[in-house]
Amino acid sequence: MSSIIERSVTMEQFIEQFLSAVDFQDPVELKPDTRLADLPEWDSLAALATIVLFDTEYGKVIVGPDIEKCVKVSDLYALLG
Amino acid sequence: MSQATLHNVRFAGMATCVPKRVFHNIYDAPPKIRSERERLARNIGIYTRRLCPEWQTFSDLAFEATEKLLAELKWNKADIDALIIVGQSPDYLIPATAIILQDRLQLPQTTIAYDVNLGCSGYPFGLHLMGSMIAAGAIKKGLLLVGDRAGEEKDPLFSDAGTATALEFDAGAPPMHFDLNSDGSGYQAIMLPVGGHREPVDVHHLIQHRDEGGYYRGGTDLVLDGPAVLSFSTQRVPPAVERMLEHVGLGKDDIDYFVFHQANRMINETIRKKLRLPEEKVPSTLHDFGNTSGASLPVTMTVRLRDTLSNGKHRVLLCGFGIGLSWGTAIVDIDSAVFPALIEV
Repeated sequence: MSSIIERSVTMEQFIEQFLSAVDFQDPVELKPDTRLADLPEWDSLAALATIVLFDTEYGKVIVGPDIEKCVKVSDLYALLG
Repeated sequence: MSQATLHNVRFAGMATCVPKRVFHNIYDAPPKIRSERERLARNIGIYTRRLCPEWQTFSDLAFEATEKLLAELKWNKADIDALIIVGQSPDYLIPATAIILQDRLQLPQTTIAYDVNLGCSGYPFGLHLMGSMIAAGAIKKGLLLVGDRAGEEKDPLFSDAGTATALEFDAGAPPMHFDLNSDGSGYQAIMLPVGGHREPVDVHHLIQHRDEGGYYRGGTDLVLDGPAVLSFSTQRVPPAVERMLEHVGLGKDDIDYFVFHQANRMINETIRKKLRLPEEKVPSTLHDFGNTSGASLPVTMTVRLRDTLSNGKHRVLLCGFGIGLSWGTAIVDIDSAVFPALIEV
């Protein structure tokens, strides 16, 4: 069931939901090749928000080390499988 | 052990004491980190916390809670058989704080007194321990003191509280149900790595640096792996609650309130949503009292449910989870228990 949900999420939808989840203090523009390390608040809180987003919105369990391996926004999107 | 049921144990009352000192996560933080703190407070859901002044300890708070509870229960101190502390903020590394409190509270020397080293998960475990002694017929009246002095200005999560719960033998009491679990493979997720025998405090641990906010940090600080704690909590707690209900043969509608350890808003909301529980059945004290470690269940019951639980019969599901890693759930029927108002000292 989860794979159906995952495939239906486009990159644009993912970026929109990711921005809402991570709740950056100042507006941030994200593209698939945006480097996560360049974001002003790519921190522990952002990691928590990303884990919750994947779990509750996409039914996908990811853990901290999965996120640490991601370099760009597109790497996070790829975690959807 | 997975599940267990205890008979003949009555939940007689509960009291909660917090420090008067209020610390605001945004306005009391240094100006240069306030923007960052706004985002943090919004997401962890914690705005104000109660912090002990230098002189105050967990046992000072628990002492006040116990005195007030015993007075309102009109229990005779000579009848107390056991005093157990569940927490990780001893007055001294040794001896156990519960023994010191036996004397300070003027309880009889026949009192069984010792400490149990559990944090955020501790409340259901303490209830089970004291309840087991009572159910076995070994004792008649027991006091369970749960809480910690874990709060620090620099750390936006933790807040201080001391609580007391009174349990007594009652042949007519409804059963208490438990589901208690431990996973030591996750011990590094929350820990004080320095100061025990594996790594005693050495001179180099005492060298501190100032972080961006101007707070001093060093080798004797608590280490907390946020993503690991979140994954543990949101993956383990919902199925444990479902398992508990299934074991007892109850549905979610049969429970009046689900009281969860107050970890942070992201963790608590994820757990609530995964269990499909309505907000009105899941009281929260995160906004005003933060994460009070093992005390968070009593803090929430006192602050949010006091009027309800002191009148008539109610069934509550209590779930603690955290450091260890450790997680436990209890289903307790509370009938006209004594609930003094929140104590502030």
